[in-house]
Amino acid sequence: MYANDVKMSWEEVIEETRDFLSEEFEVDRNLILPENSLKDTLDLDSLDYVDLVVLIEENLNIKITGEDFKEIVTFGDFYRLVRKKLDL
Amino acid sequence: MKVSKDAISQYIPHREPFIMIDNLVSVTNDRFESDFYIEEDNVLVEDGHFQESGLLENIAQTCAASFGFLGREEAGEPKIGFIGAITKVEVHQLPAVHATIRTIVEPLHQLGNIYLVKGESFLEGRILLGCEMKIVVTQ
Repeated sequence: MYANDVKMSWEEVIEETRDFLSEEFEVDRNLILPENSLKDTLDLDSLDYVDLVVLIEENLNIKITGEDFKEIVTFGDFYRLVRKKLDL
Repeated sequence: MKVSKDAISQYIPHREPFIMIDNLVSVTNDRFESDFYIEEDNVLVEDGHFQESGLLENIAQTCAASFGFLGREEAGEPKIGFIGAITKVEVHQLPAVHATIRTIVEPLHQLGNIYLVKGESFLEGRILLGCEMKIVVTQ
């Protein structure tokens, strides 16, 4: 994963993800923890998932599909999917 | 031309006096284009100008007609699209009556039956209004 041409570690990817999610969805970043529910914490409705897909693509340069979301309950699930897509 | 004014009501649920699109000029999966002549007695005309609400409705109906057209090509019957949300609205200019506006819509993202699209309307090459919409398409 690269940001501004600087290679990021997996830990940095997680911190970057917490930053853009907390900013976009106006949620305390301390609530974005692996064990917490993605949907409940970010207060997502079905339309918000489109915003999430756009954010992920813009910030992490990976594509998430509707099928991918079927396996995501917690941020931990989400991080595992991101890591797999980034091949880290 | 993909769908002419006479046939447009086959692809959208709207009826007069709330049809805000004339012809569907071109439709691909990546780009939709329509035109619309603004009559003096259009219900969304005020003070001789087509209002922002009319431009937004025109973009939404361009989406609806295009998804309807694509749905009929794929499955034999048109799909119906509903506006889920409108964001990033920028109004540059309101067109006067008797103008013909052109509208271009580009789907940006899709998640299941929800599409994020970018819509822009133009008059003689000048942008009138731009926005993003989330459109929910019936399955």
